[in-house]
Amino acid sequence: MKRRQLCFLLLLTLLMILPAAAFSADEALHSVWAVKDCKIVIQPGRVIEKGVIIIRDGLIEYAGLNAVIPADAEIIDGAGLTAYAGFIDAFGDSILKMPEEKNDPSKMYSGDYSDKERGIAPEIKAYDFVNLTKAGITKFHKNGITAALVIPSKGIFTGQASLFSLSQTVKEKAVIFKDNLLGIGFSASSVAGYPDSLMGVIAFLKQEFADVAYYIMHTSRWENEMNGIIRPEYKAEFEEIIPFFTGKKQVVFLCRNQNDIIRAIKIGSEYKLKYLICDIGGEAFRVIPELKKSGAPVMLALGFKSPITSIYSQQGKDVRSEAERELYPSNSARLAEAGIKFAFSSYSTPEPDKFLGNIMIAVEKGLPTEKALRALTVDAAAILGVDRVLGTIESGKIANLVISQGDPLLKDSKVKYVFADGIKFDMKEKKAEGGDKPTVNVSGKWEIMVGGGMELKITLEVIQEESMLSGKMTSFYNQDEFTDGTVSGNEINLVVTANAMGITFDIYVSGVVEGDNISGTITFGALGLGSSEYTGKRIP
Amino acid sequence: MKQTQFKYLLINILILSMSAIAAAGKDETLLKNGNIITISGSDIKGGDILIKGTRIEKIGKNIKAGPEALVIDLNGKWVMPGIIDSHSHIALEGGVGGANEGGNLITAEVDVKDILNSEDYNIFLALAGGVTAIHTMHGSANPIGGRGIALKLRWGSTAPEMIFKGAPETIKWALGENPKQSSFSAGKPRYPKTRMGVEASIRAIFEEARDYVKAWDDYNKKKDNKVKPLPPKKDLRLEVIADVLRGKYLIRCHAYEAEEMLSIMKLCKEYGVKLAVFEHGLEGYRITNELIKYGVGVSTFADFWGYKWEAFKTMPHSAALMAKRGVLIALNSDDAERMRRLYLDAAKTMRFGGLSENEALRLITINPAKMLGVDKWVGTLEPGKDADIAVFNRHPLDPYTLCEMTMVDGKVLFDRAKYFEDRKKAAEIKKQKDELKKAEEMKKKESEQKPDPKSIETQAPKGGN
Repeated sequence: MKRRQLCFLLLLTLLMILPAAAFSADEALHSVWAVKDCKIVIQPGRVIEKGVIIIRDGLIEYAGLNAVIPADAEIIDGAGLTAYAGFIDAFGDSILKMPEEKNDPSKMYSGDYSDKERGIAPEIKAYDFVNLTKAGITKFHKNGITAALVIPSKGIFTGQASLFSLSQTVKEKAVIFKDNLLGIGFSASSVAGYPDSLMGVIAFLKQEFADVAYYIMHTSRWENEMNGIIRPEYKAEFEEIIPFFTGKKQVVFLCRNQNDIIRAIKIGSEYKLKYLICDIGGEAFRVIPELKKSGAPVMLALGFKSPITSIYSQQGKDVRSEAERELYPSNSARLAEAGIKFAFSSYSTPEPDKFLGNIMIAVEKGLPTEKALRALTVDAAAILGVDRVLGTIESGKIANLVISQGDPLLKDSKVKYVFADGIKFDMKEKKAEGGDKPTVNVSGKWEIMVGGGMELKITLEVIQEESMLSGKMTSFYNQDEFTDGTVSGNEINLVVTANAMGITFDIYVSGVVEGDNISGTITFGALGLGSSEYTGKRIP
Repeated sequence: MKQTQFKYLLINILILSMSAIAAAGKDETLLKNGNIITISGSDIKGGDILIKGTRIEKIGKNIKAGPEALVIDLNGKWVMPGIIDSHSHIALEGGVGGANEGGNLITAEVDVKDILNSEDYNIFLALAGGVTAIHTMHGSANPIGGRGIALKLRWGSTAPEMIFKGAPETIKWALGENPKQSSFSAGKPRYPKTRMGVEASIRAIFEEARDYVKAWDDYNKKKDNKVKPLPPKKDLRLEVIADVLRGKYLIRCHAYEAEEMLSIMKLCKEYGVKLAVFEHGLEGYRITNELIKYGVGVSTFADFWGYKWEAFKTMPHSAALMAKRGVLIALNSDDAERMRRLYLDAAKTMRFGGLSENEALRLITINPAKMLGVDKWVGTLEPGKDADIAVFNRHPLDPYTLCEMTMVDGKVLFDRAKYFEDRKKAAEIKKQKDELKKAEEMKKKESEQKPDPKSIETQAPKGGN
């Protein structure tokens, strides 16, 4: 590392001792809102054509036909707008940032793989690794999603999920339910260790549950009798599993194809678990009778890809692409028809755009819009066991709303506002306000050198949609995403909320683009580094 | 045609009838005028087979069927019992690679029934080679591996429906180079590294299982005492091994060398355990007396050898030599591709070793049926047996023969002529669809482009023609 970069790091370190609040860029929040003259869909099927929603201190205070608007409320004119309960992503891992796993080649010879490396990690908690960023939250908001279940998804015991309200980057405040779901997958780990095959995974699960049952029996006998009973050895792994094994909390099976769903149902019923199915493979429609009999609710991923085990994947490109175009997108429609309860998962479509876009494709394939909206709101809340606080617009519930022009899931609808925990987020349109029409396309990868004594190399990966920019910034210390950048003529402006060594700060970038060259200024907000000039060019 | 129907047609056709092609719903089928190789008796030239439900009702000449029966004229084609492959790894999720649990030395707790994939296309391709039943099994990674199962290739059915009802469960053992991991260059070295060690590991787990059974017996005696003891911990692996000791499973033991086969038979006698079949057993021809005395079968290859150190000391005559001495021999595939031409492998035993036609065909029909304990139902063409039938255009041992039709449980699940017809139809539909798409795109393009008066002028006369 260059000396000057070291200086930069030192500066960052020094700044860490300052109170963190000084850098937090929290939304300026007004705690009382009144949305009036708005079409309120309390839940799909129950509609108030013109009503009032009053939000106070993060909760819905009132939703109905008429109410005296409190004097302290800021009023939003909802004429022509429709309010739904905020959408819920019922299963995803896109905002989880797990520590990078180091590949230690010496383990290949020692075989000393940890339980975690073997995929047995019930103690991993999504809460500890969630990465709530402004850019990440905005992406969800644009699609009306205001709450997301985040879950580690690798291995056999994949870890425990938490449900977050997408209202702020402070996870302590954003979390709704912590450690409320345990993931169980069927993928054997790729390291050499037991189990290293699918049939081994199933045998392992059966033995593990037998061991947990024994541990529970042994512990209770020790606690009740003590005298004459050899005390059990304490097992942290089993202690993590017990609430899920005894049905106090739910487990979710990560199913990669229809066979996994059958396996999940078998294991779930054999051990009397309270279980959900996450249909990662999108093949629930192929085992409808079994699913119906099991009564297990399903979270549907929206990848619309034919799994490798499927007959549709083994007879050439034509059959496969036709199945992926015609059959797999009809998964949710077929489940709705059969009366199976489901929610949607962003697992195979981590970009929220695609998540909602693919739900729209499912609607085209026969999924009734009302069912789709139920799956996004009230049904998702019920499946996750949070219907007392989320899923409908009713007083006392968390003020998570999506307010759009036109019914959501219609092609031309636009999300205008999103409320999460009563915090209002305005959804900007794709066009930069007041700017000129772009005369350049800045999409691509840019490498810029910051001068002014810093000599910092930064890579910008930019996606331009009309006059809006999004993408990510990579420098030697971190990688951060950004949205809501703008292009006006040949000038760009963007703000990156960066996170380095525990400090959150904004970086402002403005510049003029000429062909493949860019130059301008970069400002490290709140760091006291001031502005520096930079030049750069587009790289392949 | 409605558009949705049109949309799905391609899939429906190319999925090549995941359900029975013909005879579906018909309770009675008559196969007329075939050259019938019964295996159990003499061949019948120009004979008929009457099938009622899933069973063969009658075999002979000039059989009359009811008015409702489906009649298939075989025009002198050759008919034989459906081929049975006694050693394979298809219909498993994860393919052959998924068939081994290598994470432990002994893995009796794993079961291939947990990973059956009834949509493995190799099932259909096996039907195209006249195969109607298989034994799908754990690989040879471990001295005692997982449990296997016999399947009927009921293509289009679910996995539980494919399981051969009444067939005993099997368990895979393996001796020699594979459990020794002698060809592994990376990874943690695993005990054992010698043939002695492989056998010792089997003995060790037997002892452990005996202790386990004893611990439970002791507990059951004392569990109603005033001071209730703690029960032993449930161990799924040892429970299967205990069942092995009780004789619940057909033991299928992968072995190449004569010495290790002799040695394991001795060990099994010591523990009162009976081996059912040696897998591969390429050196079995050297110990036929011992094999017969012990009463164990050998499921082997026709002319596949020399691919590793322990597979050198054999010859293509091996299978025939053993069969002639009276050892129960089957020819197996161990491979999805070889599975489709087992009849040719059977023919090789006539060239190498001089088996008769009937003796050769037994190696892929009744003998593997006996090994799997399903010879009551399949393996020969006899009244009362399952209507699992393969039809060939020439004698099945003719080098130019082709399987034309395959039936399982009286249902035609493969029909070569229909297969090609369907492919043709699908290709035509695809062509039509592509053209339709092209035309739509053209139309869209035209409507998007603003008409240029000049080009309209020049094009107009052309359109008029």
